[in-house]
Amino acid sequence: MSGPWSEEAEEDASSLAGTTDVELIKRAWRNEKAAPEILQFEGPLVLRVREQIQLLEETVEESTENGSNDLVVSLYQMDLDRTLFLLRSYLRIRLQKIEKYMIHISKTNLWNRLSEQEKKFAKRCTEIMEKLLEQSVLARLPYGYESFLKQSISSEEDDMVPEPQLDTFVFCKAKDAVGAFQLDDSGDEIVDLVADDLYVIRYKSIKGLVEAGQIDLV
Amino acid sequence: MYGKRASQLLKDQACCENGQFTPFNSDLFDQVISECNEHSLQLQSLIRKIEEQNLDMQTTRNEDHFGAVIHHLSLVRNKRCLMAYMYNRAEIIQGLRWKVGPVLPQEMQEKLNYSEEEYFKNHSAAIEAYMSELDLDLTVDMVPPKDPYIRVRVLDDIGEVCLDDHSISLAKHSLHFLRRTDAEPFISQGLMEEFLE
Amino acid sequence: MPGYYDMDDILMEDEPISVVFQVGAHGCGLLDPGSETIDIEKGTKMDLPYWLAHQLHLRQAVSISVPASFSQKTRKEIQADAACVDLKGRCPYFYELGCKVAPLVGDKTIGSFLLYAFTDRYKEMLSKSHSASAVPRFSSRLTKEESQLFQAARSSMAAFKKWRTGGSRLEKASILGRKRKRTIPLGPSSP
Repeated sequence: MSGPWSEEAEEDASSLAGTTDVELIKRAWRNEKAAPEILQFEGPLVLRVREQIQLLEETVEESTENGSNDLVVSLYQMDLDRTLFLLRSYLRIRLQKIEKYMIHISKTNLWNRLSEQEKKFAKRCTEIMEKLLEQSVLARLPYGYESFLKQSISSEEDDMVPEPQLDTFVFCKAKDAVGAFQLDDSGDEIVDLVADDLYVIRYKSIKGLVEAGQIDLV
Repeated sequence: MYGKRASQLLKDQACCENGQFTPFNSDLFDQVISECNEHSLQLQSLIRKIEEQNLDMQTTRNEDHFGAVIHHLSLVRNKRCLMAYMYNRAEIIQGLRWKVGPVLPQEMQEKLNYSEEEYFKNHSAAIEAYMSELDLDLTVDMVPPKDPYIRVRVLDDIGEVCLDDHSISLAKHSLHFLRRTDAEPFISQGLMEEFLE
Repeated sequence: MPGYYDMDDILMEDEPISVVFQVGAHGCGLLDPGSETIDIEKGTKMDLPYWLAHQLHLRQAVSISVPASFSQKTRKEIQADAACVDLKGRCPYFYELGCKVAPLVGDKTIGSFLLYAFTDRYKEMLSKSHSASAVPRFSSRLTKEESQLFQAARSSMAAFKKWRTGGSRLEKASILGRKRKRTIPLGPSSP
C-alpha cells in the first residue's frame, strides 16, 4: 500500500460522507497533538486550507465593504478564525516536536515527514542547540567526552539523543471496524477494534494504523 | 562524594515552578567543569599506571582499573548533569518566543548567560524565518478562539499603536473592543487583560 | 536512551544505595569523606548514588542490598495505612527507584509491593485533588511521581471548572511572574 495520503486515497476520504478540508485538518491536528512522534506533513491539505482561508478573508472584506449584515460578517469571521486556529496550532505542534526530537528526526526516515520549510527549521535548530551546548559545556570538557551525541569516546552508539516515547498510552477511535488486531509481536494480546469505540492503547501497537489513517487519535 | 555539585546544580533548577528558571549559576557550573577535569587527570594517571606495568588495558581488572572506572563514570555523570542543565533551560528559552515576544524583558535577560542570550536570538530568528517563508504568523491564536472581538482593559500606558488599518491610543485603565488576534500579544505580555462583566 | 536530558531521571539516580565493594579501587578516596587513604579497600561498605552503584554492580565490583525504603518495616507500615506513610521523606522517587533496584537485588516481591502501595495511595490522592481547595497537608507526604499526578488532577479540575463558568482564556504569560492573583495556566489543549 502506498499510504493513505497518496492523492487517490485523499480524494476518497474527502468524497466519503462529504468530509471537508476543515474536518480533515482538524483530524490531522488531533492526531499530531496526541501522537508522541511527528507524523507525515499534510502538504496538499495545508495548501487547500490556506486557499480556503484566503477565500473566506476576501468574503469577509467584501461583505464589510458593501455593508452586509453585521451578524453574517461575524459568522464568516468566526469560521475563518477557527480554521486559522487549527492551521496555526497544527504547524506549531509540529515545530515543537521538531525542537524536541530534531536529531532523532534527522537521523531516521522521520526526516521525510517534514515539509521543506520544516527541514530548514530543524537544521537551524540543531545548529544553534549544538552551538549553545558546545560553547557552554562540551568545549570545556576533557578529551574523549566532548561529543554532542556520545557520552564518551567509549560509547558504541549515539546515547545522548532524545527520542519520543512510543510506548506511551493514547486514546483512539476507529472510523470503520478494523477487526481483530494484534497488539504485540508475540501475538498474545488481540483486540477486536470496533468502529466508534474508544480505546486506550500503547501508541507503539497502533502506530501502523494511525499512519495508514485507519484509526484516529483523540 | 563525586557528582554532588552537579546534582545540586540541577536541583536548584528543578525546584522552580514549571516554565520558570533561576539565574544562571555560573559559580557552581564552573566548579562542576573543573571537577570533570580533575576526574580526567586522575583517570589518565591510573591508566598510565596500568600501562607502566605492561598490563593489557582491555582485560586488566585490578584496583587501578576499578579506580579508573569510577572516575570515568563520575565524568560521564557530571557531563550529563551539565548538559541537562543547559538543555532544560534551553527548552524554557524556546518557549519564550511564543510567550513574551521577540524582545526579552530585562528581569529575564539577567537570568541568562551570554550563550543563552545568543541562543534566544538565534532561536527567535529561526521561528521568524519559518513564519515568513510561510507568510503566516504563528505566535497568535494560542488558545482556541471564541469571539473574533474581545473587550479588554489596558493595564499600562501603551500609547499610540497601529492596528490593521487604523491607529488607536491605548491609555492606562481605558477599555477597548479589539480584534482578538490584535489584543493577544498585549495580554500575553501583561499589558492588557480581557475584561469580563 | 530516551531520557538523557530528563531532570527527574537524573535526580532519581542520585538516590543513595548501600553497597559493599567486592574489589579494591585505587585513587578514589574522595568518594568516602571519612576515609583516610585515597584508596578503597575490598569489603568497604558505603552509600553510593544509584548512577554509580548500578554501573559498578554491572561490572561485578559491588554488591547491592535492598534499600531501606523497600525494607520489611516500610512494607508493614504501608500495609497498615498506605496513605499515611511519608514516602517522600523516605525516597522522593520511591516508585522509579523501586523499579530500577528490583532487578539488581533480585527481589521479585518489590514489584507487587510498589503496585500495592501505589493503588492504595492513588485513590486517596485522586479524591483529595478534586475536592480540597487549599493544598492539603498530606501532599507533603507524596513522592515526586505522586505529586506530579496530584498536580495534574488539580489543574485539570480547575481548568474544567473554569471552562464551565467561562472565564477569560487569554492570559499573561505565566513566566512573567504574578503580580495579581494566581491563575492556572491553560495550555492550548481544549479540543
